Amino acid sequence: MPEEILVIGGGPAGMNASVMLSEIGVNVTLVEKDSFLGGNPEKFKYKFLFPDLQPAENVIGELIKKTGNNSKVKVLLNSQISGFKQTGNKFDVAIKSPQGDENKIFNSVIVATGFEHFDPARDAKYSYQLFDDVIDIKDLEKMLGEGKFLRPSNGKPPRNVAFILCVGSRDRHVGNQYCSRVCCVVSVKQAIELKEHFPESDIFIFYMDIRTYGFFEDLYWEAMEKHDIQIVKGRVAEITSGPDNTVVCKGEDTLLRGPFEIPFDMVVLASGMEGGPQSLEMADKLGLEMDEHRFLKPRNITLSPFRSNIDGIFLAGACTGPKAISDAITEGAAAAMSAHIYAQKNP
Amino acid sequence: MDREKAPKRPVAEKGEHIIARHMVEDENLREEKNLVIDGVDVSGRWNTFILSRVDSDFDRSFFREIKKTVVGSRINRCWQCGMCTASCTVTPLYRRFNPRAYIYMMQLGNLREIKKYIDVAWRCVGCYKCSQKCPKQVNPAEMMEALALLIKKYFPEEVESKLKDDEKVKKIYDDMILGNGRLNLATLHTKSLREMGRGMELFSKVERDAIFKMIKDGRAFSVLMLGKSSGWSKSRKAIEKYLKNVEGMERIP
Repeated sequence: MPEEILVIGGGPAGMNASVMLSEIGVNVTLVEKDSFLGGNPEKFKYKFLFPDLQPAENVIGELIKKTGNNSKVKVLLNSQISGFKQTGNKFDVAIKSPQGDENKIFNSVIVATGFEHFDPARDAKYSYQLFDDVIDIKDLEKMLGEGKFLRPSNGKPPRNVAFILCVGSRDRHVGNQYCSRVCCVVSVKQAIELKEHFPESDIFIFYMDIRTYGFFEDLYWEAMEKHDIQIVKGRVAEITSGPDNTVVCKGEDTLLRGPFEIPFDMVVLASGMEGGPQSLEMADKLGLEMDEHRFLKPRNITLSPFRSNIDGIFLAGACTGPKAISDAITEGAAAAMSAHIYAQKNP
Repeated sequence: MDREKAPKRPVAEKGEHIIARHMVEDENLREEKNLVIDGVDVSGRWNTFILSRVDSDFDRSFFREIKKTVVGSRINRCWQCGMCTASCTVTPLYRRFNPRAYIYMMQLGNLREIKKYIDVAWRCVGCYKCSQKCPKQVNPAEMMEALALLIKKYFPEEVESKLKDDEKVKKIYDDMILGNGRLNLATLHTKSLREMGRGMELFSKVERDAIFKMIKDGRAFSVLMLGKSSGWSKSRKAIEKYLKNVEGMERIP
């Protein structure tokens, strides 16, 4: 009898795990709560991916195609896990889907519930939702994807744009002490895209540390050296309305040790990643451990980052912490391998 | 008692009627002699203005101007790591000389900050240690030249008043190098002091001791023997020609 493996979540990690498993002949059931595959990249219409600015279509579109047109992968959209029980080495799962409710025994389970973008409205100092011209990176990503480069308030090209890093990250005030890892490089990427579209506009990045780790550094250097994007050290404490339909960023330039209140045409908040309610829900239903950052907790962060506290349940992608799409895809493959081995050893 | 009374001031001190005067920096105070706003004469107390102490603009026109020059073309590269200041020869002598900070001020077009450093900003000795160590190849040593050009362009009066002595010494130095092809430190020292009106200091004890010591170890005689480099007139012509060209190149458009 072929193995049956359950994948929860249809983002990059879940899709890649499903595709990998299907290629070694495993029957996969992919449960996705949204009405589409692709997770956050698809939801917010990511257009170009860092670090090489390749079209997201090459990555996400490709995975969706491979997952959707796969006889071995049963994709259940708009679906939920309604019941979960461990029976011996296997898992008895009740799935609620538009195609009807079903109960099925699975050899192993991969949880890839991903992340949620931090909602900047939760942090009042950034005046998100108060001013049209204060947007965040996911809004801008969507705008860029739709070919909209103009100011949301009046449809004119922005003369100057500010990116504010570490929104919802590295901030006890909002309860997130961790670094969300990708916001720096996403901001730098978007700054380049904006600058390429509006060579006349001035773009500033307010930072505390710029963490474009590994080879992402190349993009950061390119932003400065090719596109004249200016970095300014200091976090912004307040955004208010300014003259001529501008928004004013109030902060401290920590290098010059002086206060600034600079009016901008557009402010982009580099909001971070959060575990989201879906991971919490899975933790409750499946009995998984959460860490202090409200992400799912791997058994051993270094030795087995894709293994959960329960044998037979594996973790992949951003549900265990903020990470880049490439990392999520790698973890999808790693979890697929581990899930397959578990199924083989526990027939 | 009368003698202890301060003499009556003929002119009011800048912003003296501001109660918390100590909290306002001199340069942030503006007082006009005869100010008329909308037809109303606001001479007297009402014409004291306190400028905002907050930076309210990043003036990038300035950055673009610097970037166009040969010496400042890499200003966009700087990420403020401070390697230049860390390796600087001058900073340990003048704490306020900080290439890293000056580059940042130029990037953000913060002329108000730059103005505070006119007296020290051009103390770079051109050792190029910073340029050798800069991880982004910004070439801070030449960036200091860009800064000097910029200060001369935007603050000519301040340069005139604050750097008067330095200009005098520079002239003596230039004349000596061009005239003889050699630097005679003893002559530079004495001429400079005299030019600055400090000629009497040459007879101080420190100077006397130094001269005595130099006579003793023979250096004084070698100094006197310093003449022109041989065939200098030819080199001199070439250098003068070169300098003319350089002046043309360096000028900020």
